[in-house]
Amino acid sequence: MVDVGMTLEMVEASQLGMRALGAALAVGLTGIASGIAEMTIGSAAVGATAENRDVFGLVLLLTVIPETIVIFGLVVALLLLF
Amino acid sequence: MAGISSGLATNYIYACTRMRVRRSLLIPREDYLRMLNMSLPEITRFIGETNYRSEIDELGTSFSGINLVEEALNWNLAKEYQNILELVPGELKYFTASYLRRWDIQNVVTILRGKMQGVQPGKLKEVLIPAGRLDKVALDRLLTEESPERVVEALKGERFYQILERELPRAMETGSFAHLENELYKGYYARLIADAKEGVKGGKMFLKYIELEIDTRNIQNLFRLRAGLVREDVRELMIPGGSFSVEELQRLSGLEDRDEFIDALKRQVRAAPLLNALEAIRGKSALHEIEVALTRFQLDQMERMSKRYPFSVLPVIVYLEEKKYEVANLRALARGKEAGLPGERLQGYLVM
Repeated sequence: MVDVGMTLEMVEASQLGMRALGAALAVGLTGIASGIAEMTIGSAAVGATAENRDVFGLVLLLTVIPETIVIFGLVVALLLLF
Repeated sequence: MAGISSGLATNYIYACTRMRVRRSLLIPREDYLRMLNMSLPEITRFIGETNYRSEIDELGTSFSGINLVEEALNWNLAKEYQNILELVPGELKYFTASYLRRWDIQNVVTILRGKMQGVQPGKLKEVLIPAGRLDKVALDRLLTEESPERVVEALKGERFYQILERELPRAMETGSFAHLENELYKGYYARLIADAKEGVKGGKMFLKYIELEIDTRNIQNLFRLRAGLVREDVRELMIPGGSFSVEELQRLSGLEDRDEFIDALKRQVRAAPLLNALEAIRGKSALHEIEVALTRFQLDQMERMSKRYPFSVLPVIVYLEEKKYEVANLRALARGKEAGLPGERLQGYLVM
C-alpha cells in the first residue's frame, strides 16, 4: 500500500485503518459464528427446559460455550488495536 | 450450512429435543420389574406418582380399582398425543397427524362394534381414546347416533369413509367387523405411504418408518397365522407397501415347517438386527413371546433410525410408539394383577 508519493503521516494513518478493519472483521465474523452455534444449542436448550426445569442451569452453561469464539475474536481485536 | 441457518431447523431441534426428554421420562425396565411384585392398589399409587398423577387425581373420585387405572391411562395417552400434535412444527405436524389417524380407526371400529351389540354410549365412551383427528366432541356426536349405518353416515368426508361405506353391509351381514378393520388399516397404511411420497420435506424418513412398521406387522401376522394353523390365502390379510411383496408373503405362509419358514424369511432380509431377532425367535415357542420380540426389534430399530436422522419426524414417532407400549404395558400389568396372574407370567407380555 506504500506509494512513492505518500508522506509518513499518510502511511501511519493507512496502517491504523487496516488494523481497525482487521479488528472489526475479527469481532464481526466470530460474532456471527457464535450466533449460528448458539442458535442450534439454544433451541435444544429451550426444548429441554420446557420439559424439565431442573436442567436449566446446565443447558444455560452449554448455550454460552460457543460464546468463547467471540471472546477469542475480541481478544484478537484488542491485541490488534492496542 | 443452509440447512442449519434456516428458521425451520431450529423448530425441528426444539421439538425433537422435547420428544427425547419426554422419552427419557418414560417408565424404565426396573420399575416394571418392581411393579410385577405389587398389588393393584400399589400399582395405582405408583403410577399416581409418575406422569399419570393429574389423571389419577382427577378420576379418583368417579372411578376405582382397575377402571381407574384404565381410564387414567386412556386419558393420559389422548392428552399426551394431542399435546404433541400442538407443539410439533410445520412438516412434523403433517406427518404426526397422519400417523395419529390410526386412533380414529380404532375409535370408529369400537363405536361400530358397540352399536352393533347395543352397548350404552356412556360405557362405550370409557374405552375410546380421542388421540386422532376425531376429538372428544366428534366422538360424542358419533356416540349419540343410533345404528352403525348412521355412525358411518356421520363420518362422510373422512378419509376412510369410502372403505367404511363399501365394507359395512358385509360386516353387518356376517356380524364380524374383522374384515372391515383389516381393510381400514390397509387403507390407513396406503394413505401413510401416499402422504410420505407427497413431496413434503422429510417424507423419505417417514417412509422408512412406515416400511419398517408394515414389515414388522406382516411378519407378526405370519407368525400369528401359523399359530392359528390358518392355511388359506393370506394375501388379503397382508399389508402391501413393505419391503416384502404380498406374493412373497403368501409363499412364505405356505411353508409347513417352522424352521424352514424362519430360514426362508431370513433369506429375504438384509438388515442384521432383524436377522438377529429372527434367530432369537427360533428358540421361542409362545406366540406372545414372538410378538414381544418383534415389537422390541421394531422399537430398537426405530431408535437407531432416529439417531441417524436426529432432526426428522422419527424422534417424534419413536416417542409416540414407546408411549403407546408404556400404556399397553401398564394396562396389561393392572389387568393381570386384577385377574390374579403371577408376576413371572405377566413379564412375558410386557414390552420392556
